[in-house]
Order: sequence, then structure tokens, then C-alpha cells
Amino acid sequence: MKKSMIPAGVILVLSLVIVIGEMTFLAPCLHEDGAFGPCHWAGRALLGTGCVLGVLAALALGVKRVRPGVYLSALPVCALGILTPGTLIDLCHMSTMRCRMVTQPSMIILFSAAMLCALIGAILSARERSHHE
Amino acid sequence: MNKLPLPLVNLLRKPGRTLALALLIAFLALAVFGGSVVVLSLRGGLQSLEARLGADIILVPSEAQSKVSFQNMFLQGTTGAFYMDASVLDKALEVEGVEKAAPQTFLASLKADCCSIKIQVIGIDPALDFTVQPWISRSLSREMGDMDVAVGCKVEADVGETIRVYDQRCKVTARLEPTGTGLDTAVYCNMDTMNTLLRAAEEKGVSHRIESGDSVISAVYVKVRDGADIDAVNSCLNGHIRKVTAVRTRSMITGVSDSLAGISRTVTILIAAVWVLAIVILLLTFVLIIRERSREFAVLRLAGASRGMLSRMVLRESALCGLLGGVAGTGLAALLLFPFAQLIESALNLPYLMPETGTVLLLAVGTVLLSVGVAALSSVTAAYRLSRVDPGTALREGN
Repeated sequence: MKKSMIPAGVILVLSLVIVIGEMTFLAPCLHEDGAFGPCHWAGRALLGTGCVLGVLAALALGVKRVRPGVYLSALPVCALGILTPGTLIDLCHMSTMRCRMVTQPSMIILFSAAMLCALIGAILSARERSHHE
Repeated sequence: MNKLPLPLVNLLRKPGRTLALALLIAFLALAVFGGSVVVLSLRGGLQSLEARLGADIILVPSEAQSKVSFQNMFLQGTTGAFYMDASVLDKALEVEGVEKAAPQTFLASLKADCCSIKIQVIGIDPALDFTVQPWISRSLSREMGDMDVAVGCKVEADVGETIRVYDQRCKVTARLEPTGTGLDTAVYCNMDTMNTLLRAAEEKGVSHRIESGDSVISAVYVKVRDGADIDAVNSCLNGHIRKVTAVRTRSMITGVSDSLAGISRTVTILIAAVWVLAIVILLLTFVLIIRERSREFAVLRLAGASRGMLSRMVLRESALCGLLGGVAGTGLAALLLFPFAQLIESALNLPYLMPETGTVLLLAVGTVLLSVGVAALSSVTAAYRLSRVDPGTALREGN
């Protein structure tokens, strides 16, 4: 296995944690009356962003030729994931709410880790390419 | 790689071994830094609670103790409301030994417009208040006007924003400094605003009326005169004012203090146990590593390296491992502790106030230095043994 594939594997795992987490243990607030707060929509956006990241990771794993470009395109996707909860989409207005206490910090950490992996992956795959040439 | 110093080359040459050592040290650093920050935060929370309570005695309606856990309102920010006649304030001031007394009125909102959660609204009399007002004054230089509110740091509303309580629009004029207690989740206003909100609540069907009249308060905070016996004043207040219970704030804090002492003790014992265990493992690991590398060192000796040079190299290698592990462990602890501080506070159910940035940085630097020191010290025995090994024998024995 090429070294440049390892970050893609890690990103794939992270994106799975993001997607499954958003639907289960990292889900935003559940309101008793069934109403949707703003954090619900932030959660949906995170779910979508996580799915896109997963697809990019799978592409980086499967298609060697596009690997550096895929890693680079994962960077803004991760930035979007970091900015979504609280900055781009509002969350509940109390720090003690689940969306601020659990979802937001977890997602920021997960997307930041994915971003770091994408950066490492981009450097490694660019190096491998220059070796070949 | 040839230009790198020899200890670093040795570490990079065996990444698995380096990673294992660094992980062990990272575990130590995580335990020390994480444990210390948690204990300091709990202590900070207790000190903050003491400072914020400010009063010696709190007078609440007799039913308050059963209606809502009064202590939980301060510690966890549980919402609740109970009322008594406003004349309790004057009666309290009549009691011998009472220096000053200030009323507060509580109102639990319905789901607030801002956050889909009940918030506790606390009305204070800025002229009399000596508990909350000094705290508000730090964030708001002028007096709160009508329909102005100051919000605790956990209410995510910025200054200038409007929040709605019982359909009344209140303007946020200040965000208060964190206290690590339930007071951080409350909204504060003056008594005129509170009366407006009480009327609005009445219209929504949330009654606060009591038999004796419309002018109501929820609690009276009492400061006892210097030299006066607080217990005696407490008993006097209990005897003098009917249907009211006088609670000593010390009794509220003692419970928290006991829980805190228990947690601090457990964390300290755990940290000590982890350190003893890890130091023993490190000592053994370094001895085994040196034995495994005896031929390598013998070759270096034959190539002209002195015993001192080899010992220094081993010490530097272990110190580098310590640095790597220390930084990784401290970083990981920070990554878990700071973003999830609110979650930790909720799980502990105790006042929890993070130390200041300077203290945290000092603690982090101290932890990294400690990790480097312990790693270097653990390899001292191994380095000493190494200096006594005869290169010829080591090469002949082949280990």
C-alpha cells in the first residue's frame, strides 16, 4: 500500500464517524415537542458534508491518478464542516444544550483531523508523483 | 538524515520503538495535565460559588426547599420559582445582627424564543444588591434600564440582541463573566423589568400570586454584621419571620466542598498510581532497550565514542522521546478538556470554572518539562550500565 493512501483511509473512517455520529451519539438537540431548532438543520448540513468527504476519501483510495487533486478538494469541504455548526448555521442559544456541548466540539475536532490528513495526503501524493516523473 | 544529530537519527531509525516510548510518556502527560486542569477547575468553581453567593444567609419561602432544590438552582442552573411577600425584606432588616439585606425575584421562563429551553430570570434591586450587582458591574458600567437584561455567559446572546421572555422583548446589555455555577445560565434584570415580566407571565397563565398580596420576591440575601453570630442570626430570622426558611450559605457550600475534596483525592491518587506504574515500565523498557542495543554501542565504542558520549546519547534520546510524548499527551488532554468543558461540568454536577489561560499554559509547559525529566531520569540507570559494558565482551556474546 502506498503511503499516500493512508490519509485517505483515515479520512474515510473519520467521515463514517461524522455521518454515523450525526445520526446517533453526536446528534444535535432532540426537542421534546418534536420541533426542529436551528441545530437540527446544522446537523443535516454536517451529514451532507460528511457524505461528500467520504466520497472524496473513497476516490482518493481508488483512483491514484486524481489523488492529489482529491486531497486538495477535501480541504475546503473540511473547512465547511468546521464552519457549519455555529458560524454558518446557528445553534441553540444556550451553552448547556447538547448541540453546543457535544455536536459542535466533536464535529470541529473530527473535521479538523480530516483536514490535517488531507493536507498530509496532498503532500505525500505530490511527492510520490514527482518521484515517478 | 546524515546531517541530523545521532540521537534523533537513532529515534527515526526505529519508529516503532520511538512511538511506543512516546505513547507511554504521552499517557503520563495526559494524566498529569488533564487531572490537574480538572482539579483546578473544580477548585475555581467552588471559589467562584463562594464569591457569588456573597451572603451569609438566604431567606426563602418554606415551600422552596421542597418545591425545587434551592441548591440546584445555584449549582446546575435548574429553573424554578417560588414567591413570598415583599415585606420579608423589611422584617429581615429589623433582626438584630443583620447588616444588609437584598431581595431577588425568580421567574422561570417558558421556552425562550432564543433557545428552546427554559431560562431562569432573576430580578435584582441594583441599589440594595451586594451579590450579583458587583459581578454585573464588571461587565456593565451603567445601571440596567427598564427591559434591559444582563445574560450569564452560557446564554448565547450577544450584547445588543433582543431576547423574548413571555413575549416581552428584552435587550441584552451585558454578557457576564463566567462563574462556573448555575448562575451562568440565568438572565438578570432590575425589579421594574421583573414586574413587567411577572405581569406578562400572569397573562400567559403562569401565576405568581400569593395570598398576602401582589408585591412578591423570591429570596432575601442577608449579610450579617461583623462579629455577630451567624447561627444566632439565622435562628432569629427563622423565629421572627413566618413561613420563611433561613438557609446558611455555608451549609450549601459544605456539601459541594465535600464532593470536591472526594474527587480531588481520587484524581490525585489515580495520577500518582499512573506515574508510579509508568516510571517502573519506563525503567524496565530502557534497561531492555540498552541490552538489545549493546552490540550497536560496542561498535560505537570501538569507533572511538567515549562512555560519556554514549551515556549522553542515551539520555538525549530518552529526553527527545519525553518531549514528543509530553507534547502529544498535553495536546491530546487539551483537545479533550477545553472543547468539552461544558460536557465535563454537566457530568460532574459541580461548579466548574476553567483556570485562566496563563495558568493553563504554565501547567502545560510544566507537564512537558516533567515528561522530559522523567524520561531522562528513567534512562539514567540504563546509561550507567551501558558505561560499564566492555565492548569486546558485548560483541563476543552477541547481545
